[in-house]
Amino acid sequence: MLDVFINLGLGMTVAFTLQNIALCFLGCLIGTLVGVLPGVGPVATIAILLPVTLSLDPTGSLIMLAGIYYGAQYGGSTTAILVNIPGEATAVVTAIDGHKMAQKGQAGLALGLAAIGSFFAGTVATIVIAALGVPMTRMGLLFGPTEYFSLMIMGLVFAVVLAHGSLLKAVSMILVGVLLSCVGADMETGRERMTFGLEMLQDGIEFVVLAMGIFGFGEIFKNLADPEARDVVRSRIGRLWPTLKELKDNFPAILRGTFLGSVLGVLPGNGAILGPFASYAVEKRISKRPQDFGHGAPAAVAGPESANNAGAQTSFIPLLTLGLPPNAVMALMVGAMMIQGIVPGPQVIERNPELFWGLIASMWIGNLMLVIINLPLIGLWVKLLRVPYRLLFPAIVCFCCIGLYSIANDAAQVMMAALFGIIGYALYKLEFEPAPLALGFVLGRLLEEKLRQSLIISGGSPLTFLQSPLSAILLAIAAMALVIAISPSMRRNRDEVFKEA
Amino acid sequence: MPMKFTRRVALALCGVALTMSVAAPVMAEEAYPSKPITLVVSYAAGGGTDAIARVFAARLEKALGGRVIVENRPGAAANLGTEVAAAADPDGYTLLIGNQGPMVVNPHIFKLKADPGTDLDPIAMIADASLVVVVGPSLKVNTLGELVEAAKSGELVYGSAGNASASHLGALLLGQTAGIKVRHVPYKGAGPAVNDLVGGHIDFMVTTIPSAIGLIESGTLKALAVTGDKRFASLPDVPTAIEAGVPGYTASAWYGLVGPKGMPAEVKSKLEAATTETLSDADVLDKLKNDGAVPSAMGPQAFADFMAKERARWGDVVKAADIKVE
Repeated sequence: MLDVFINLGLGMTVAFTLQNIALCFLGCLIGTLVGVLPGVGPVATIAILLPVTLSLDPTGSLIMLAGIYYGAQYGGSTTAILVNIPGEATAVVTAIDGHKMAQKGQAGLALGLAAIGSFFAGTVATIVIAALGVPMTRMGLLFGPTEYFSLMIMGLVFAVVLAHGSLLKAVSMILVGVLLSCVGADMETGRERMTFGLEMLQDGIEFVVLAMGIFGFGEIFKNLADPEARDVVRSRIGRLWPTLKELKDNFPAILRGTFLGSVLGVLPGNGAILGPFASYAVEKRISKRPQDFGHGAPAAVAGPESANNAGAQTSFIPLLTLGLPPNAVMALMVGAMMIQGIVPGPQVIERNPELFWGLIASMWIGNLMLVIINLPLIGLWVKLLRVPYRLLFPAIVCFCCIGLYSIANDAAQVMMAALFGIIGYALYKLEFEPAPLALGFVLGRLLEEKLRQSLIISGGSPLTFLQSPLSAILLAIAAMALVIAISPSMRRNRDEVFKEA
Repeated sequence: MPMKFTRRVALALCGVALTMSVAAPVMAEEAYPSKPITLVVSYAAGGGTDAIARVFAARLEKALGGRVIVENRPGAAANLGTEVAAAADPDGYTLLIGNQGPMVVNPHIFKLKADPGTDLDPIAMIADASLVVVVGPSLKVNTLGELVEAAKSGELVYGSAGNASASHLGALLLGQTAGIKVRHVPYKGAGPAVNDLVGGHIDFMVTTIPSAIGLIESGTLKALAVTGDKRFASLPDVPTAIEAGVPGYTASAWYGLVGPKGMPAEVKSKLEAATTETLSDADVLDKLKNDGAVPSAMGPQAFADFMAKERARWGDVVKAADIKVE
């Protein structure tokens, strides 16, 4: 343990140079901006800035690029809460209850809780990376395709609680999400599925396109159609800082969210994106008032936001300890290291300790900066919302389009998002919840990939899911949850819950 | 008076403008490049091909004396970039980084809107990137020969960066050359596949050098052979596959410069000369080495012959493995 503090001390001396503090601040500021702007994400931003970082030293450039990534996670919640449009795809969950809080005049509280939760999660995740990086990596490596598949099954079973309307509608939304995730070339044979011969569907649907369409454009259509509903948030923001009681009530959610996010963030295949969903499901499960979820429950903002930020940071673990990128942003970080002539891998910690520990230390500094940047900025964001809708909406749509175009320099992505916008509006009119669809989409892709990989590895034997102890345990938990959910007494409870809601 | 003067000036300006607009096409040919050149890359920013393209483009700018802008056009299994380049004006202002997959493998697998063999014009070869055969902790073998021996059980699985990727084809060819049957587990990119190799969930990979070199140097993964015809400078102790006892086995991901069919000869020769100059820069060589590649200068004819040979060779591999999509 002492080693960790000595090493973090070394990191602090690196991170606390004037240049690195400035770069960290710059990264966090760009990240916040990118996060707040819907559609424009950290992947495109980092890709654009990659060549620029050539002129910086390796540590400084990585500190800045990392700041953009976790800064974007911070900023993404702001838009989600204030205008119900997730600034980042990962803020989809935050929008559910965050915006409801805002409509109740508690936007300040929601933003405050998100910021406090994120800061706490960021601090813990920094320590986790420093102290538990290597054991966490080992844990992540335990999850092969078989174990991952069972984890996803467990997630899917728990996912049902995400909905706060009819159970049937929620399940059908999840299934539609899974179906949408199957669009594109088959991973094993390359044959096209559900593409209708359209080239733009050949690589499947991007999650950002789906999220921006259904949640972003859909929300704008909704606002245009329903002018009364939209002035609520502008009227009152409420206080920013939670009371001691509110803090005490939500602290367990923050703690659990941090834990879930930290663990899932290490998993390959962008496990970090699962954190907010998992946290929401857990909070709703153990809440004394699950009927509040979906109607502005503070824990439903605090938990997922903490999970989101923790996951964003622990996804650096596989990159730093093994040089393996668990998601697209980390793949770009690998690129950034290679440009600088640093070979990513286990040896980075020995060969470039100042880079390794400096980057980790900078994350904590960055999180502190984000609180300082974001809280005063909330006033500014709120002022921006006072801009008349005839100017605000075209601006949001414009930024969405720029972001969507930048994914692959392809106008087809923008058109596809527009189509999803119409679908999103239709879903709203028919009272279908879009969040389970998003979850089904995220899980579906992993589910199929991992199922097929497992079966190829096992030579076609489905017993492989029971032979791996870890996988068997996860499946057992899922089966138990399913039994409890369909048992008569629980069903009565659940229906009552829905009636109240 | 001032009025008349103005009119005269305006007229004169018009005249100048007219002459210039007539002269412009001629001048553009003489002074290529007179505007920024777009270098299309068929993969997303941050990947292996993108890295090599950016190193190349940065130095090419100096050699040509004009801007070269890298434009990432990923999509449709990297066939979108081919289409974009094939459909562009053949004026030398839209070029493409043509690499193994889309140039010579995909024509055997997909029904393409543009045939890279006939709709694109080879300009020069840029670099050659050998692959490396690596095993993870699940397999206790020390040489390529031992891997081939272990594979005779028929139970070994290998991971790849995806269907029809260089790592998939490299392993297919290894299996066909050595006469072994191994099962293919496709992943989405090399990263997650290497992850599962380190975790011991899959047995081996034939992957790009940058995706594994850190783990090889730290001893986490064992490199059995490189697939090029020469050893790789950063891995001096790793034999080539031929040295390791699999005769005739070479596979490499290569990168070249191509453009739309019908570019003016002067433009092509200027680009070829600029490529040669770029590839003799020590700094470029150093950066290419980081990306697992060695420069491989070839003129248009040699590059075209090389691609024709590669296309026939990989066609056989694809046919034998029956991975055709259509």
